[in-house]
Amino acid sequence: MKKTIVTLALLFTFGLLSSGQVTDPLISNCVTNTGANARYLKDFRIQLGKAVSQNELRYKANMSLWKNTKYRFTMCNAENSKGQLILSIKDDSNKEILSSFDKNTGKTFSFVDFECQKSGIYQISYDFANGQQGSGVGVVSMIK
Amino acid sequence: MKGRVFLLVIIMFIGFSCRNSKSKTSEFVFPQSDSVPVSEAEKLSPEAIADISKNISSPVEIANLLQTLQVPFSQSYLAGSIDANRQSTNFNKALKLGILGADLGYLNMYEKTGSSLDVLSSIRKIAEDIKVGQFFDFESIKRLSKNKSNLDSLLFISIDSYNKIDNYLRGNDRGQLSALMIIGVWIEGQYLATQVVNQYPDKILADRIGEQKIILNDLLLLISPYCNHDSEFTSLCKDMLDIKDKYRDIRITYTQGNPVSVEKDGGLTIKQTETSVVTMSEDQLNAIIEITKNIRDKLILNN
Repeated sequence: MKKTIVTLALLFTFGLLSSGQVTDPLISNCVTNTGANARYLKDFRIQLGKAVSQNELRYKANMSLWKNTKYRFTMCNAENSKGQLILSIKDDSNKEILSSFDKNTGKTFSFVDFECQKSGIYQISYDFANGQQGSGVGVVSMIK
Repeated sequence: MKGRVFLLVIIMFIGFSCRNSKSKTSEFVFPQSDSVPVSEAEKLSPEAIADISKNISSPVEIANLLQTLQVPFSQSYLAGSIDANRQSTNFNKALKLGILGADLGYLNMYEKTGSSLDVLSSIRKIAEDIKVGQFFDFESIKRLSKNKSNLDSLLFISIDSYNKIDNYLRGNDRGQLSALMIIGVWIEGQYLATQVVNQYPDKILADRIGEQKIILNDLLLLISPYCNHDSEFTSLCKDMLDIKDKYRDIRITYTQGNPVSVEKDGGLTIKQTETSVVTMSEDQLNAIIEITKNIRDKLILNN
């Protein structure tokens, strides 16, 4: 019996390691919910602990965005997330172009469409509302 | 040898200085470089390299633009001459993996999924040859291609497979292959755009080609650490510098404006009023079309 369990455990471990194909279900679920007219481009997986200070959004990445393209930025949260995922985009002069969090109303949008008219490299930042601990994914798609 | 070192120094200077430029002007220019030591370029962190490789635009975006412009699909743009069984070096294999990946993106976007099976087989063969086949979800992509079921899932799995390969290569001291794959993707996307604009002249597409100036330095930065690696890399670095040279006098300027936001269907829509404007003559565009074709054709024939 012991031998069988060990063999099964080894086979299972080997299977997981050799497949190398484990796709995070949070990402694939988020991708399928971006809308029928959206075409997947890339995703950002964000996992953050509670922030010490809330000066800036903590997860940062660069991405080239192109003129005459309409992008959709979709934010999805894991069930155990303490805060909602928020997004901010700045251009190369550090000017904020968009935010999924409206500071005036406190409203957080689960997706933002962006009609890009200026090609360039933009800084994309994510965090969880109020610097909370959280786990989520940001998916970038094109809208046809 | 002296020539190679000189080439490497030039590329590193150019690439690194771009990364550190904070131009406040309203025109994008290749930065002048005269003060960054070569060793600094070699110290690019893995995070910086990952950032660059993620930042390079997807060929799917070019294919999307072509569809928006109602450009018909053409098999003739594809790198049909690539024989996966005749790739002798890892350099060739990684580069071809990128080129075929761009072709796969083009085929997927046009939902020519039946034709994509040959490309998929070549990708699998090459991926297995360089020991990254386990990251390419061939069966799922094949199934989705055959069923024509869900284009978005197909795009996701295809791009995700390439991202996994890229992450794995960079994380396992095989960054040179990752760089080649990315260069391959870009060159094929650029080839596609330039061939189409040659056949169907269009201002929006021509502008997109001109705007590639914005990311050219990042591409150079990615391969610069390997320009001295061997003769294949040295030749590719020279090709990329030749492309960059054709872009030197193309101007990208910006007009100012504030974004306009509208709430719609539970989401937020932001319309940018700030614009980028490309100034490129017909001769400049033709020079880019020509050099892209020459380099790309040389790369796919170099089995």
